[in-house]
Amino acid sequence: MKHSASSTFAFLFLFLIFTGVLFAQDEPIDSAMVDSVATAVEEMVPVNPPKPAQLDIVQDNPGDAGSSIHVSWILSPDDGAGDNDVTSYIIYRSESPTGPFEAVGSASRGLVEFEDATTTDGIEYYYYVETVAGDDSARSSISRPIKSSAQWFSTKDIDTFIIGLMISLSVIFFIFAAQKGKELYLRKIAGLEAVDEAIGRATEMGRPILFIPGILDMDDVQTVAGITILGRIAKTIANYDTKLNMPVSRSIVMTTARETVKQAYVAAGRPEGYSDDMVHYLTDEQFGYVAAVDGIMVREKPATCFYLGAFFAESLIMAETGNSIGAIQIAGTAMPAQLPFFVAACDYTLIGEELFAASAYLSGEPKQLGSLKGQDIGKMIAMAAILIGCGLFTVASITNSESLLSLANTFRSIFSAS
Amino acid sequence: MNFDIGIWIAAFLTLGIMSFLYKDNPWYKISEAIFIGLSAGYWFVSLFWQNLVSKLWDNLWPALDALFTRGEFTGGLLYLIAGILGLMMLMRLVPQIGWISRWPLALVVGATAGLQFINYLVSNGVIQVYNTITPLFGPVSEAGGIAPVTDVWHGLGNALILVGTFTGLVYFFFSKEHKGFFGGAARVGTWFLMITFGASFGYTVMSRMSLLIGRLDFLVNTWITGIFT
Amino acid sequence: MGFWDKMLAIDRRWIFLFVGLSLLIPMSLGIETKLSISPETAGLFDVYENLPPGSKVLMSFDYDPPSAPELQPMADAAVKYAFMHDLKLIIMGLWPQGPLQAEISIQRALDSPELKDKEVEYGVDYVNLGFQAGNEFVIQRMGSDFREAFAMDIRGNRYEDIPILKNVKNFSNIDFAFNFSAGYPGTVEWVQVAVDRYDVVLGAGNTAVQAPLAYPYLGAGQLVGLLGGMRGGAEFEVATGFSAKATVFMLSQTFAHAIVILFIIVGNVAYAITGRGKSKLEADR
Repeated sequence: MKHSASSTFAFLFLFLIFTGVLFAQDEPIDSAMVDSVATAVEEMVPVNPPKPAQLDIVQDNPGDAGSSIHVSWILSPDDGAGDNDVTSYIIYRSESPTGPFEAVGSASRGLVEFEDATTTDGIEYYYYVETVAGDDSARSSISRPIKSSAQWFSTKDIDTFIIGLMISLSVIFFIFAAQKGKELYLRKIAGLEAVDEAIGRATEMGRPILFIPGILDMDDVQTVAGITILGRIAKTIANYDTKLNMPVSRSIVMTTARETVKQAYVAAGRPEGYSDDMVHYLTDEQFGYVAAVDGIMVREKPATCFYLGAFFAESLIMAETGNSIGAIQIAGTAMPAQLPFFVAACDYTLIGEELFAASAYLSGEPKQLGSLKGQDIGKMIAMAAILIGCGLFTVASITNSESLLSLANTFRSIFSAS
Repeated sequence: MNFDIGIWIAAFLTLGIMSFLYKDNPWYKISEAIFIGLSAGYWFVSLFWQNLVSKLWDNLWPALDALFTRGEFTGGLLYLIAGILGLMMLMRLVPQIGWISRWPLALVVGATAGLQFINYLVSNGVIQVYNTITPLFGPVSEAGGIAPVTDVWHGLGNALILVGTFTGLVYFFFSKEHKGFFGGAARVGTWFLMITFGASFGYTVMSRMSLLIGRLDFLVNTWITGIFT
Repeated sequence: MGFWDKMLAIDRRWIFLFVGLSLLIPMSLGIETKLSISPETAGLFDVYENLPPGSKVLMSFDYDPPSAPELQPMADAAVKYAFMHDLKLIIMGLWPQGPLQAEISIQRALDSPELKDKEVEYGVDYVNLGFQAGNEFVIQRMGSDFREAFAMDIRGNRYEDIPILKNVKNFSNIDFAFNFSAGYPGTVEWVQVAVDRYDVVLGAGNTAVQAPLAYPYLGAGQLVGLLGGMRGGAEFEVATGFSAKATVFMLSQTFAHAIVILFIIVGNVAYAITGRGKSKLEADR
């Protein structure tokens, strides 16, 4: 057979390449290399995957505003048992049963549910749960299609709704009763009796009265209560012709207070005694306000100081300065953190709800009186619930009665709010 | 010596306010006046840029632009209502038409009351009642998440919570005069309140000391140390 | 005037002087006291410590500079710990200066020796969404969609352009919420809205004035833990391993408390021995 020169050259070229490849290997194939290759193969293929979790319930979250699907599963047999190597679960979602699926969240081992709150209402979703054990994982089956939707009512909040309704209806009932002229009894509130005497003291000493309505705005109910009491106090001040100084830290409070004081002077038959300068704005800044109030106290030396409203850290600064100038101090606030200071530094303190009771008591307004009585119903519900619940549990534990324990738990669950 | 004008001004004002502890004096008056004026100005600017501009204008302008240039109605136009309500609130400054401000105020009060009614009822009322319902004694098995009362101190603790909560509620019950058994329970409630106030006061003393530590740290470690470095 | 009468009438400026000295002298010593960690702090740290790397932590800075001595130490420790352990921070504030206080914590953490060689990138490892007015209404809006409350971050980047917020729609995508609060709005609002309505896992740091208000929530399980005041901050510093100013200042705090207790005892003994004091109205009559 005759070969051409080019084919000979090609054969030699290939021979050289083959030879070069052989000699280019700087080390022979050995067992270590075989092992590392085997390991690489091992890492690619799960050798001991965990047993997968099984989907349990996949449903639209009931009683919510939509965009939420509840996914729950039965724990993998290797979670807390079996191989006990499960580390987490990853929840996957897709708009089609064939994918593509994307991870929407994860849950640690031991957990059996997940809320997917990133859904769009009306779109069908499919879920599966992947059980993860280190580098290995296993999938559950794919769920049926689920859509999320919004509901009008949240049935799990029905207990709270009933309690809120009972309190609201009792408030409305008592407001109507007060408006019809029925006399609603309110117990005496210590501190209120001292108001007139304190104003009288300032008149006798010829020194002004300082009124601080708190540092929050008119949308806070404590400020409203303080301004209501101001109306009553301003009328007495107008009658006694005492000087009133009322620095405020909110502009809306200033205008409201000016109206209230002006009306009080008109009602007392002394409109000429009123001046806009009685109620003046200082600053919104908390400590700037109290620095200025302290300055007023030290320079003008009021004989009586009223602190009625919402206060924060400035309360003790004011009360202590008022104490140092020898003023009578009557305080009232529903801020639990500030009550200790007023109790320690002031002569009389309206504690918490007593401020609102004082406002209702002094104004006699049916809405305020009715609200207070309605709230008492709420307190009665709380007191009764606590006594009944503790009683049931205590008797159940003494008698070791399962049925009584079950009853106690059912009763307690009414107040679980979930 | 490190002469940072800001640190020196801060130190001057800090010491000026603290001088009030001795007695009122011109140094305190100057510091007080600067603080009031500065804070009023700061809040005005802060409220203008962070509320009026970023919350109202930045939402309204794109919507108005879309309306007038492209004839599109977008959701941002709802901020017109907010703007109008804000203007109505400012009518309070004009005595003849001050009554107009009651409408936006009513909206704010109503919306806040509606939201807070549920929040406070659930978080401060219902859930607290739930957690107060506990057995006083007895080896109850753990059911409903309540730990069994296994020793007398645990039971005593539960009893204290029960008595304190109940008598506190009695104290704030305004529909009955505090006489007889009711009056006695109210008195016990007053004691619980005063003990709570004392504990709260102690916590607040800690808070005030911490704030003073912060200021002294500035004076000593920032201002005075800066003088000698 | 007897001794106890003098004690009752003691000029308050002496008390100020004693308190001032009791704070200044230990401060100049710079001694770190050994601190035990309270169950309230331990509860919070346990949850924080067990967050796996990559967990999303929402931090709400609801305070301003006047409360910084109490809250800044715990905030600094929390931010530094988050960066060290690869927790992703989403920072916001319901008070205007809150996010600016957060920037102080972030800068201090990034300048610390422990984080010198660690790459912490804005937008990937943390984001500052800034301040939003509206108090509890903001939390309410965040319950459905964070973007409704924060269209942009503090640097003007759009919400959808920020990598760390890619799969964060609302509270269900947050693993833990940490609130630093000095008043209203603060922890109370976060509990009422975020925890009770949206089941957020919440830990709180409060000023010592606010802390008593949060204890009922801690007892009811609505809070996983509570850091109260500078002491809480010092305990958290110890727990996270980043002892700083709060730990050093505990000695001053201790001395000041001792002085106050001494004066309370002396005052009450004097009050009891000299007979009950009259109210000003009774004295006037």
